[in-house]
Amino acid sequence: MTQSLAVDVHGLTKNFASTRALDGLDLRVATGSVAGFLGPNGSGKSTTIRILLGLLRADGGTATMLGGDPWRDAVDLHRRVAYVAGDVTLWPNLTGGQAIDILGALRGDVDRGRIDRFLQLFDLDPTKKARSYSKGNRQKVGLVAAFASRAELLILDEPTNGLDPLMEGVFTDCVSEAKAEGRSVLLSSHIFAEVEKLCDTVTIIRDGRTVESGTLTELRHLQRSTMTVTIDGDSAVLSAVPGVQELTADGQRVSFSVDEGALPDVMRALAPLGPRGLISTPPSLEELFLRHYGLHAEAAEAATRP
Amino acid sequence: MTTIQEQGARTLSRTPGRGRVIDAYAGFGLMVQFIVRRNWLRMLIWTIALAGMIAIVVESQRIAFPTQADRDAYAAIANTPSVAALTGLPYAASTLGGILNIKLWMTEAVALAFAVIFLVTRNGRAEEEAGRTELLRGGVLGQHAYSLANWVVAAGFSVLIGLSSALVAIGQGLPALGTLVMGASFTGVGLVFIGVAAVTGQLAQTSRGANALASVILAAAYLTRAAADLQADEDNPSILSWASPIGWGQQMRSYGESLWWPFGVSVAAAVLLCALALLLERRRDVGEGILPDRRGPRHASALTRTPVGLTLRLQRGSIIGWSLGVLVGALFFGTVATAMADLLSGDNPIAQGFIGGSKDVLDGLLGFFAMANVLLISAFALQSTDTIRAEESSGRAELQWSRAISRVRWALSRMAVPAVISFVLLAFSGYAIGASFGASIGDPGQGGRFAAASLAYWPSVLLVIAFVVFCAAWLPRVASALTWGIFGSMVVLSMFGDMFGLPDWVVDNTPFTAVPRLGEEFSAVPLIVIGGLAVVLVVLGLQRLRTRDMTAA
Repeated sequence: MTQSLAVDVHGLTKNFASTRALDGLDLRVATGSVAGFLGPNGSGKSTTIRILLGLLRADGGTATMLGGDPWRDAVDLHRRVAYVAGDVTLWPNLTGGQAIDILGALRGDVDRGRIDRFLQLFDLDPTKKARSYSKGNRQKVGLVAAFASRAELLILDEPTNGLDPLMEGVFTDCVSEAKAEGRSVLLSSHIFAEVEKLCDTVTIIRDGRTVESGTLTELRHLQRSTMTVTIDGDSAVLSAVPGVQELTADGQRVSFSVDEGALPDVMRALAPLGPRGLISTPPSLEELFLRHYGLHAEAAEAATRP
Repeated sequence: MTTIQEQGARTLSRTPGRGRVIDAYAGFGLMVQFIVRRNWLRMLIWTIALAGMIAIVVESQRIAFPTQADRDAYAAIANTPSVAALTGLPYAASTLGGILNIKLWMTEAVALAFAVIFLVTRNGRAEEEAGRTELLRGGVLGQHAYSLANWVVAAGFSVLIGLSSALVAIGQGLPALGTLVMGASFTGVGLVFIGVAAVTGQLAQTSRGANALASVILAAAYLTRAAADLQADEDNPSILSWASPIGWGQQMRSYGESLWWPFGVSVAAAVLLCALALLLERRRDVGEGILPDRRGPRHASALTRTPVGLTLRLQRGSIIGWSLGVLVGALFFGTVATAMADLLSGDNPIAQGFIGGSKDVLDGLLGFFAMANVLLISAFALQSTDTIRAEESSGRAELQWSRAISRVRWALSRMAVPAVISFVLLAFSGYAIGASFGASIGDPGQGGRFAAASLAYWPSVLLVIAFVVFCAAWLPRVASALTWGIFGSMVVLSMFGDMFGLPDWVVDNTPFTAVPRLGEEFSAVPLIVIGGLAVVLVVLGLQRLRTRDMTAA
């Protein structure tokens, strides 16, 4: 199985002085897939990535990247990996073009044709000194260097930090293209829309531990959908169906949340009521994510209070 | 009842058509207060340092030349080409004031020029670059109010330096007229370079560019007057001296003829330059410069793409600067050695401190100079190797370590550059000391001997490099402070240990004093010990660097 995984992390732990940054984290990236990596600030995303890059050494658990040990085989593995940090720091007195060449040379492949193509896509002027680049432009330098490489695995740590919506669109296309080329991508992000659009699988972590992982469809199965429908007759019938919650009625229009498993019963109860304009909304990634954090629980409570 | 809109309209109607000239300076007083508040400590430290140096130098020269006979003897030999080139053409050299001018005037003038350049840029272009000027200009602040306030504060600072220098000199018993003219000559140089920095702050788009441009003009002014002082007729420099703002200050000839009118030239130039800067400011947008932002190459050269090449490219400016400084210093050391040795009698306590265990004053002095030169080169090596830590704390190491290069290879590429360059510098600067000393005694064969004596210190420089790597690997968070602190105390110990009356076994066993001095009997043992220590520290350091976590700031 390991052969088909670009990244396989199991039970990873890491301590910094007295704080426990990672506490048994699991993460898998299937070869050729795009894996989303979600978690709030300080939850351990960057620590995990730095362990994968051999910059930090894990205290416990196992981590395998492209079949090798990220710490022991760092130099060899890095020939096959491209990394973009969330805050790309460059040499202020070199130009962006020089930095891209140097980063490519450090990996061992500089393909001028590809570099020029991605420079154009990201609309980046490579003759400007890094000192005068904005945050977004420094990010672009990292992205061009990564996408122009022939690396099998792209590790992207909140890479669209500081990019405008137009460039986020370009980024999305580039990730899709990388996937089409058969490359694997680990994408740590804050942006749900980005992850929903791009990622085959999602791993959600909290306090250094994996709380949810799987394909988006799988994750949605675990969650309640929201349904809105217009009916004739009394909505009280519905409240008797097991699995229906948060039922509200506004005249003929009712909405409620429902467990995946209770759907057949709900449909049977609805049928005699002449349902029209039925809308079923699966939980968004944002809801999936927020469910794991206290904030959402409190907000939901506040919303249901009269 | 009036609405806010009506009130606003009334304010506008008071200033119809083109804005009043005075509006461009609205908020000037507030900005003066603001700039003083943000810079008072900085200006105070400069003032204490510059005025304090005058007290120290006058006092030390009084001890060095206690009688009028001593001063007359000094005046007879003071006019050497290297003194004229470096510190200005000596005049009135038989007075304490004249000697003060020879020893310190140029240092004070150039230091003040740098101080005002940095001050004007810091409060001008740097603020604009950071976007804070935009914040202020969004309020009720005239177009020129901030810039003018900046220059006025810097001008006040220049006057303060002049006055405090004069007062300190008067306190040291120097003649009042001479001291006032001296103070004014400093102020004059300061004012001109405020004007220069005001203009470069308009031209360049970055604070770095503004500082660099102004520094180039300062260097040109310095070299112009150096050429003028070298082509002197007796104690009058050539007419070229008037082409340099530093020359204008020199031409006030404090403690000599004490002329006031060149001060007027400086003030006029300063006013003209500031007026030019205002004109430029009116023509440009906030945040923009007059000169286009300099472009760079689109691709990295084949050399820059190698780890050693990248290190060389990143440190290019620093390496050139250090090399020039070291070579000029070496020529200076070599040229003044004989003259200084003649002046220092063997029973002078300061002289004894310099010459260490040597019996002959000249030999001792030359050995001292050779070591001072080595310490300078070691400082370069330390600064260069320190980038190992700087790259890591800035986050650029992450960029490189996540590529296919091992940390050990990466660190070695960063160590190779200072190791090789310091070897070359030791050879060339050693040769330069010997050759210029040889020229002064008519013996051209001295270069090789001095180059060899300098190269004997190479293991010591390598030990410095090794120590920096060791600290960066084991104590990353405090490495920079630790290495500079220990190196600083090593410098003091090596150069002045004797004067502090420290025990011989301490003074003679620093990595620099343990190396056989020029003229002493050569022994390879200390070199081998020092080199061995360096190897051990490097191995331990690299071993740790390889196995520890990356440690950002």
